[in-house]
Amino acid sequence: MDAAEVEFLAEKEIVEIIPNFSLDKIYLIGGDLGPFNPGLPVEVPVWLALNLKQRHKCRIIPPEWMDTEKLEEIREQERKLDTFTPIPSPYYMELTKLLLNHAADNIPKADDIRTLVKDIWDTRMAKLRLSADSFISQQEAHAQLDNLTLMEINTTRSFLLNSLNYMYKLRKNLQPTRTHDY
Amino acid sequence: MLSMLVLCKLQGSKMEMPLWLAKGLYEKKRRVLSVELPKVYRGGWRTVFGADPTVVDLHKMGPYYYGLGSQMLHFDSPENPEIAQIVLQTFIGRFRRTMDSSQNAYNEDTSALVERLDCLERSLFKAGQSGLNGFQQWEKGRSSHLTASSLVINYRKRKITDLQA
Repeated sequence: MDAAEVEFLAEKEIVEIIPNFSLDKIYLIGGDLGPFNPGLPVEVPVWLALNLKQRHKCRIIPPEWMDTEKLEEIREQERKLDTFTPIPSPYYMELTKLLLNHAADNIPKADDIRTLVKDIWDTRMAKLRLSADSFISQQEAHAQLDNLTLMEINTTRSFLLNSLNYMYKLRKNLQPTRTHDY
Repeated sequence: MLSMLVLCKLQGSKMEMPLWLAKGLYEKKRRVLSVELPKVYRGGWRTVFGADPTVVDLHKMGPYYYGLGSQMLHFDSPENPEIAQIVLQTFIGRFRRTMDSSQNAYNEDTSALVERLDCLERSLFKAGQSGLNGFQQWEKGRSSHLTASSLVINYRKRKITDLQA
């Protein structure tokens, strides 16, 4: 899976906007959207919000977790615990990048938020690597990691799966039966 | 075929042959040939690997350490359990370093890091790098960037933008 595909899935998340136009309710295959009235907040998927924003037809309201204090709390929590903390959105990385690139003017303290989210990401990736290493060195059969997001999994997927495949083949050698072709 | 028959007459002499040939000719009961274990898999080197697998230059020791080790088990040497064990332990011991170096080296010259890895580890390194590069490209916003293929640039055909200028 590409990072771009994960971003595509992330664009289905709901975000609030304030439109400056009016439109009746629209009926799409995925669900109903609207009605749109100027000045009144309405909930739409991110893909629509970004499109409207680029055409200067709305103002995006940042999700409530995209706030420096909340993110600092999450970052401290992440650094303290050994396990993964539950984060407010399963697509935090993608939403941060999308919203900060296209709607930075609607989000207060955009740069701080970018830095905080990057710190959270780095801490989580380090924990992921640590747990992958202990998984391999203890030769466990399975592991359970809660609260991982798709983007994190996607970045380590090919490496981890290939290593586990090789390790499985090497472990099969330990059995005294005839070895098959490597 | 005639030259193969001549080879078979040389009983008791030492010779080199490719692994695929040795595997094909090997038979437990008739003892057509006996295979000598390469030195990396013997007792002395096994102790080295057991002590600290990360310091060894696995590329120099035979670029297919893991693969060859797995194949050597085919020849029913009495040391098979130890060989299998040490190959596995070496992999586990070196895993951390391969993972860290592949996931942290972005946009640098990785030849120094890859030098001492054997081929299996190199393919893992490449997988880790591709995951990392994919993520970084996306973060920079370059994943949806269309670029001209290098082949097309090298055609040196006249481009419309040059004609219009």
